[in-house]
Amino acid sequence: MRSSMQAVALWGIKAPPHSITAIMITDDQQTVVTGSQEGQLCLWNLSPELKISAKELLFGHSTAVTCLARARDFSKQPYVVSAAENGEMCIWNVTNGQCVEKATLPYRHTAICYYHCAFRMTGEGWLLCCGEYQDVLIIDAKTLAVVHTFTSFQSPDWINCMCILHSTRIQDSLLVVSVTGELKVWDLSSSINSIQEKQDVYEKESKSLDSLNCKTIRFCPYTERLLLVVFSKCWKVYDYCDFSLLWTEVSRSGQFFTGGEVLAAHRIIIWTEDGHSYIYQLLNSGLSKSIYPADGRVLKETIYPHLLCSTSVQENKSLPFVMGYMNERKEPFYKVLFSGEVSGRITLWHIPDVPVSKFDGSPREIPISTTWTLQDNFDKHQTMSQNIIDHLSGFKDGVGTAVVTSSAYVPSLDKLICGCEDGRIFITQALNAAKAGLLEGGSLLKDSLSHKVLIGHYQSVTSLLYPHGLSSKLDQTWMVSGDQDSCVILWDIFTEQILHKFSLEAGPVTSLLMSPENFRLRGDQIICCVCSDRSVALLHLEGKCCLLRAQKHLFPVRMIKWHPVENFLIVGCADDSVYIWEIETGTLERHETGERARIILNCCDDSHFLKPGSILPVVTEIQKHKIVEQRSLSSSYLGPMPSPGLQVESSRKVADAKSFPRPFNVLPVKTKWSDIGFHILLFDLENLVELLLPTPISDADSSNSFYGSEILRRAKSTVEKKTLTLKRNKTACGPLSGESQTKSVSETPVQEDNTVKFPEENDGIKRHKKMKSSKKMHPKPLRKVDANLLIDTAKLLLSCLLPWGVDKELDNLCIMHLNILKLQGPISLGLASNEDHFSLMLPGWDLCNADMKKDYLRVNLFSRKVLDLSNKYTATLPNQGVTSRGLENNCDSLQETNAIVYILNRLFLVSKLVNMPLELACGIDSSFKGMESVHNKVKNPGNDVLNISSFYGYLRNGKNEHHISEADLSLLKLVSCWRDQSVQLHLAANSIFLEMMRKERRKFLEAKIEKVGEHYHRDTDDPITAFFHTPVSLVKHDSNSNSANFQDAEDMPDRCVLEESEHPGKLRHHSWIMKVCSCKVC
Amino acid sequence: MATAMAATAAERAVLEEEFRWLLHDEVHAVLRQLQDILKEASLRFTLSGTGTEGPAKQENFILGSCGTDQVKGVLTLQGDALSQADVNLKMPRNNQPLHLAFREDKQWKLQQIQDARNHVSQAIYLLTNRDASYQFKTGAEVLKLMDAVMLQLIRARNRLTTPATLTLPEIAASGLTRMFAPALPSDLLVNVYINLNKLCLTVYQLHVLQPNSTKNFRPAGGAVLHSPGAMFEWGSQRLEVSHVHKVECVIPWLNDALVFFTVSLQLCQQLKDKISVFSSYWSYRPF
Repeated sequence: MRSSMQAVALWGIKAPPHSITAIMITDDQQTVVTGSQEGQLCLWNLSPELKISAKELLFGHSTAVTCLARARDFSKQPYVVSAAENGEMCIWNVTNGQCVEKATLPYRHTAICYYHCAFRMTGEGWLLCCGEYQDVLIIDAKTLAVVHTFTSFQSPDWINCMCILHSTRIQDSLLVVSVTGELKVWDLSSSINSIQEKQDVYEKESKSLDSLNCKTIRFCPYTERLLLVVFSKCWKVYDYCDFSLLWTEVSRSGQFFTGGEVLAAHRIIIWTEDGHSYIYQLLNSGLSKSIYPADGRVLKETIYPHLLCSTSVQENKSLPFVMGYMNERKEPFYKVLFSGEVSGRITLWHIPDVPVSKFDGSPREIPISTTWTLQDNFDKHQTMSQNIIDHLSGFKDGVGTAVVTSSAYVPSLDKLICGCEDGRIFITQALNAAKAGLLEGGSLLKDSLSHKVLIGHYQSVTSLLYPHGLSSKLDQTWMVSGDQDSCVILWDIFTEQILHKFSLEAGPVTSLLMSPENFRLRGDQIICCVCSDRSVALLHLEGKCCLLRAQKHLFPVRMIKWHPVENFLIVGCADDSVYIWEIETGTLERHETGERARIILNCCDDSHFLKPGSILPVVTEIQKHKIVEQRSLSSSYLGPMPSPGLQVESSRKVADAKSFPRPFNVLPVKTKWSDIGFHILLFDLENLVELLLPTPISDADSSNSFYGSEILRRAKSTVEKKTLTLKRNKTACGPLSGESQTKSVSETPVQEDNTVKFPEENDGIKRHKKMKSSKKMHPKPLRKVDANLLIDTAKLLLSCLLPWGVDKELDNLCIMHLNILKLQGPISLGLASNEDHFSLMLPGWDLCNADMKKDYLRVNLFSRKVLDLSNKYTATLPNQGVTSRGLENNCDSLQETNAIVYILNRLFLVSKLVNMPLELACGIDSSFKGMESVHNKVKNPGNDVLNISSFYGYLRNGKNEHHISEADLSLLKLVSCWRDQSVQLHLAANSIFLEMMRKERRKFLEAKIEKVGEHYHRDTDDPITAFFHTPVSLVKHDSNSNSANFQDAEDMPDRCVLEESEHPGKLRHHSWIMKVCSCKVC
Repeated sequence: MATAMAATAAERAVLEEEFRWLLHDEVHAVLRQLQDILKEASLRFTLSGTGTEGPAKQENFILGSCGTDQVKGVLTLQGDALSQADVNLKMPRNNQPLHLAFREDKQWKLQQIQDARNHVSQAIYLLTNRDASYQFKTGAEVLKLMDAVMLQLIRARNRLTTPATLTLPEIAASGLTRMFAPALPSDLLVNVYINLNKLCLTVYQLHVLQPNSTKNFRPAGGAVLHSPGAMFEWGSQRLEVSHVHKVECVIPWLNDALVFFTVSLQLCQQLKDKISVFSSYWSYRPF
């Protein structure tokens, strides 16, 4: 997923499965982080009253998460590291859910400890890792690169668990226990230098503990003496001074210990796999160490444990539990014991500071403080957990919603196909369905919403395929669906007829795939159908026949590859074996395992493949064709490359063959282990702006002459922009090596040619498009995006981004004039950190922030920070007092469009700035100075200034050149400083949007004043302003300003300062201005 | 095939009963069987850490190849470590045989065997926690357990079937070269690994490429077995492999272990299949 992409999740009523495999609480006790078997991480908000509510789901790992750990000094940076089965590691910022760093190493970690020694170490510290490999790995906490290892001298083996010993009396050490039960100690602080010089560091001590399956080792920091080691069948206490055994407690039969912690001096807590925990007091038996037997025998009577308290889960258990304990002695914090279950339930116990047993000496039971699951969140916030077609099935039956078991999106028709549990298949317009689900007044839309129901399956529909979407050569009326009963139906989606029904009798159909473009049999592409009895069937659609039944696979099918030359079907199975089938004859040609199987799978890498059964391939599938474009995007900043316009264009052509990149896309997501899926709406802001911008041009042909001149100017500036970037490309290669320079010079004429051609080409396309959209009544669906759809998409996106309910008048303004609809409830936005790491908010995220609890009116305010940011934005903009005024035209749809385009353009610019890579940002920051001083567009060679100016060109299409105002400059500055503070995109967008609307209203006020006074002649450069001039009455804006004043005054004091505000003096500025204004009018 | 929709209440009750039997009886029977097989497999690896049997027993393996007799060796395996080695090399240039032997004080861990052994014990540990007293509530629970066990078993098998691909500098830098008592001659490289059920020893003879050599220097990538002509840079020198000698010997107990892995993987898959048959019936259950 690209970062300029805005994603909105439509969850449905069932929560995605989340089988917890790792759990931790952050140091500030505000967030619980869990990792799941499905590969997602979940962030849960933990309130001061110890209430839990799920906040965000983080996608990124493709396999089960094995461990979580803190990755920085938490008070400075709220970073958490996660590791997965397949060696992926990610560092996440848990306050905003962004992935900060990722790496894939050939190691599977089971435990990670963060270590940082401020005065001896440069950098961000180390992650000490252990797992299914020898010894301890040291990984840099910032770059996730392997620094070195702590190697064992004696019997090196896998390490089961470890802990860092940190005390004032003893120097920092690393204590580990290996799988064979060997306790090893490494010096940490003294070996930092040797590690950095890559010298081997061997253990200081090594001692066999005579037990297997060690789970936890803990050093008691209170006595600085005791060592607690928990094995699965027993726990032991050692004396750290001489590693003598003090006590062994064996578990009851059928009980397995999984961990433990030291609560206080001589007080420990031990927990088990089935979710129980026991708090013991370690009592001294009175025998002192001095009478230790001289022969070295273990004296067992030194201490003995006394059970004080216990905790338990009362419900039926499903193993295993993952537990942890958080010890905080500081006042606002609690001592918390927490556990996560495979079923996805989190349970918290508040452990009293001094646990005591009952008066009669029997152990006291500590009650559960909180327990919560993802599903609880979904049940509590029903409105937010709307499925995309809930309303369809709802008004069909009246009761009960259909559970969607599979879905497919057809971008070229904007159709969403959903297969349900009861065998029905719904086909509906995706955008309208999304609108009906999200927006207020959607009930009107619901009735008008056209949809089709295909009835033919009698069991839940498990997979869908739209062949035309993958290859344009196939009939676009065809759709293939497979169900639980291994029945595959070929449909005509326009006539809703069943064309053919294949009955495979091979168990549920798990996936339907299509052979790649270059693979043909008898001139046609074929459908490959994977069934859950591990057989693969090849279906020929034209011939309506089954070509091949491959049924010899012993393990589930994981991968399908095609060999076009020799007509082979290559099937990869879960046990890493490979079956090669000859398609023509249907015979098994070869069966290979091990090394050779791997070679076979690797050698046909270019051919089409897909892994059924996991969620991420779906996402990456989408990315694949996006990535080309993305690369071209980033390249336009970085090196001597062909002009960006050309690249985008060419990549679009490439993509065109597969699927046209669209501003709006629906991504069906299915999770492992269950049929439950949900949908993600993807808005491509960049694409949307790109497509929308020229639309007014073509529309304007019919409208008045003023727009005609504007077109010219706009077109000119587009060309200008291209050449500017071109110039920059030339200059940018200055510092590079001579080789590349000559190369780029030789390429330059070609580039020039292309850039000149580009706008024409572009225009051509647009004209083409316009022509097509004019004959909208044409029954055949258009391949190009039509303009209405674009505007609708833009409106939906704006609806999703506007903080509704902050200011009622403002809402009305938007509803009336931008013609956008209010949201039904808060939406679940997605945030992409890079191509394959993104986060999705969960229903109920909006109630996580304590300060927003009572504010139910504000429907879509992401956080208080938005208000804060928007105020800052206003403050930074110099109060020009200049109002630009527009044509006193009638408010028509054209202006509405213009306004929307303008806003989107702005948002796009902001999103660009926020997501810009850092090194580039520095360039911009430095170039500000140049910008301000020179104040024209002559650039120093090799400077990145041009970069910005190309932005300007983009932004200021149709604006006067001299108009590069301080306003925009300061916007640039402000936004880039937001980026430094890692403000999230949606926050920025939300606040900018809010402020833009506020500004417009103010401008409008001022304009009215001026109208009373003098008349200025100015060009309209703000379509929005032009637009706001016309409609509102005088009486109305009076109340406007009052409410705004009130609003601002209210907001000022309780601002939650997440970052230091930079312009403390200026903050009240605009409200003051407004007061003046309203006074004048009165 | 009658659809689930059409199934009568009686049919449903029977299916429920069957499923309950599967979860409560059949699953445990399979798990028991799996555990027995894996315990048998792990016995082959002779867990040295248990300490009850004392140090693992030593086994001698005579390595040879059917073609030539230029290299002959006797390797002594003690659990997962090579404790002794005796390698005799007939150099083609001079007929003086070269004798290589391990230092007395050091052992060479065969990482592949150690990893395979650890993966098996992980799998056994997963199974021991679900003994007969444990009641499975849902089919998904069993599937997840089976997936976890199979993951360990596949990894164990893969460790043995796919030896690490090393580059020549990596082989040169490995600790194995420092294991020999009269130090290894500078023009020799030695690598030991497991491939399937065989213990393999490769000896690379090297010669230095002259700096003014007309040969196109192209460093070789990673491989299990490098062929003559592979080049690499070591220190300041450029070297080329002139001869490769590979000798191997079957380790019988590794063969057994591999068979056990395959059998238990199939058992796991069969159990998964049995559960999946009911998938349409328990999909409506709350997890």
